[in-house]
Amino acid sequence: MRYIQVCLITACMMLTGLAGVATLNAQSTLDLRINELLVHNDSNYVDDYGRHGSWIEIFNSAYNTVDMGGMYLTNDLQQPTKYRIPKGQMITQIPSRSFLVFWADNRPTNGILHLNFELKDGGVLALYDASGKTLVDSVKIPDQSQHDVTWGRLEDGGTQWTYLKQTTPGSSNLTASPITGGERFVKVDPKGFGMTMIAMGVVFLALIVLFLFFKFMGWSLNRQGAGAKHAVPQSDMPEKATTSGEINAAIAMALYMHKNQLHDHENTVLTINQVSRTYSPWSSKIYGLRRNPR
Amino acid sequence: MEQATSFIGFVIENLFHFLAFTAFANLTVGHLIMILIGLVFIYLAIAKEYEPMLLVPIGFGILMGNIAFVPGFKIGIYESGSVLNYLYFGVSQGIYPPLIFLGIGAMTDFSALISNPKLILIGAAAQLGIFGAYCIALMLGFSPMEAGAIGIIGGADGPTAIFLSSKLAPDLMGAIAISAYSYMALVPVIQPPIMRLLTNSKERVIRMRPPRTVSKLEKIMFPIVGLLLTCFLVPSGLPLLGMLFFGNLLKESTVTKRLADTAKGPLIDIVTILIGLTVGASTQATSFLTPKSIGIFLLGALSFVIATTGGVLFVKFFNLFLKDGNKINPLIGNAGVSAVPDSARVSQVVGQEYDKTNHLLMHAMGPNVAGVIGSAVAAGILLSFLM
Repeated sequence: MRYIQVCLITACMMLTGLAGVATLNAQSTLDLRINELLVHNDSNYVDDYGRHGSWIEIFNSAYNTVDMGGMYLTNDLQQPTKYRIPKGQMITQIPSRSFLVFWADNRPTNGILHLNFELKDGGVLALYDASGKTLVDSVKIPDQSQHDVTWGRLEDGGTQWTYLKQTTPGSSNLTASPITGGERFVKVDPKGFGMTMIAMGVVFLALIVLFLFFKFMGWSLNRQGAGAKHAVPQSDMPEKATTSGEINAAIAMALYMHKNQLHDHENTVLTINQVSRTYSPWSSKIYGLRRNPR
Repeated sequence: MEQATSFIGFVIENLFHFLAFTAFANLTVGHLIMILIGLVFIYLAIAKEYEPMLLVPIGFGILMGNIAFVPGFKIGIYESGSVLNYLYFGVSQGIYPPLIFLGIGAMTDFSALISNPKLILIGAAAQLGIFGAYCIALMLGFSPMEAGAIGIIGGADGPTAIFLSSKLAPDLMGAIAISAYSYMALVPVIQPPIMRLLTNSKERVIRMRPPRTVSKLEKIMFPIVGLLLTCFLVPSGLPLLGMLFFGNLLKESTVTKRLADTAKGPLIDIVTILIGLTVGASTQATSFLTPKSIGIFLLGALSFVIATTGGVLFVKFFNLFLKDGNKINPLIGNAGVSAVPDSARVSQVVGQEYDKTNHLLMHAMGPNVAGVIGSAVAAGILLSFLM
């Protein structure tokens, strides 16, 4: 029995560990996506030096901050570790659902966001994790890229690539203001009756499932009880009183005081008075002299 | 002489400067109205004992929030860096409501529900108030997200209302929270007339079977199964439902007594103080006294009426399918409105008016706690549909 318990606990811990790994992977560097890029920058986005260079936008599709430090960007799949993004930099920490722009201008001395390679038509751009072995994301650059028009995902982190109507370095590729679920709902259900029916249905469904479970459980337990008529179930046995010693002492004292008419006039109040000690300077000195001199 | 004159001038100038900073100089009629409302809350709480645990902190918070001041000194609740702003963070980010639910879970006994599971359905029916108010709010021109946040008042659950409105309509949160707590306190006034109106003399004296004894196993299973079943269906209700059921497991497992005691004692007390005070203080007249707030108060009242009606009528409908002896007293239908335990107490009081020996409190606690689950599920649905 004990062996089974140990096995169960071990299995649970392993499952938890596996789930943990899955969760870590679910919201980590693997959630980074190459989101938008521009190969031929003639009169588009300008870097801090006033130059027009090719640029790449990385999107953090996770719902937590992800640090890109230690990862690799490359334009050559045979050389995955071409540019290592420096570690321990605040700028490489991308907040949830945010963006970071790198300059593919082959000027790495200009700062950590300036890569040591350039983008080429028909080439490839890839993002590798810190091991330099796991490919996080890659994109094939069109053979004849348009000038000053970016090649990007239609939706941030989505699968469909296209030439974007607007250049959006460091911001969402969706330039139209997003429609909330509520606005979508109101378009088809302006008075809310549909929502009421669906939502009440779901509330009922959730609670009906609970109802059925406990109905069945009660029924099943009743049957078991009927099967073992003479056996007294552990749960039905009267619980042994587990009153603490302090409570017993308080009850005993209250009874004693009540019996001897010592109780207070107020209800539910038990007063314990300190024994008075008459003061004299001598007694004070005596208290002071009790401690042995060192 | 000249020096003395300039000194007096300097003092007078500074005195006027000081006066300009006092609340008297910045007071508006709105502030006075809000202070009056705060005083009424405190009066109701202390003199009438209407939800004192909530109305005293909220009422005092309203007084604090409506001391008129010159902005820019990190005093007000909406000023970044002020102490009140830090405390308000728990409200604006929806942190306090799940913690309150943890305490509620640790102090709630679901036995009445487990012994008679069909009472769960009453808790679902009473959520009609939420969606009824949602529809009316939409018709009155509120945006869908605002309508959803206003509708949740009908769930009669303060923490749920704060949680949802902080996500859907943060600007209306103060009005929604105040409205929800006010009507929860007024449950003994709002519900009885509706209950009397919708029931006949025969229905009011229906005697229900005494609930069976619930085993420890069932009590332990309830929070686990409850969490899995409801949150698999509505994951967006996880912060509230997860904490509610976790608190209940702490209580029912009986091996985590210290944790349960903390959750239902010091923890919930601390969070109640913080949530009450900051929600009250968030009702600054400048942002609170708007036509929208008045609309929210009207809709809040209406949602309570609809919820009570929904619960009572559902029981009557349900009774059509139940055999004699198994029928439910419709006077416990109002208890689906999850103002725990006030609405259950109303069932008991109204029931006793017609039959002194018919005690409905135990039965009413079933739909009452089911209402807590139901309103959290409804909040999850609104969140997932409207966000």
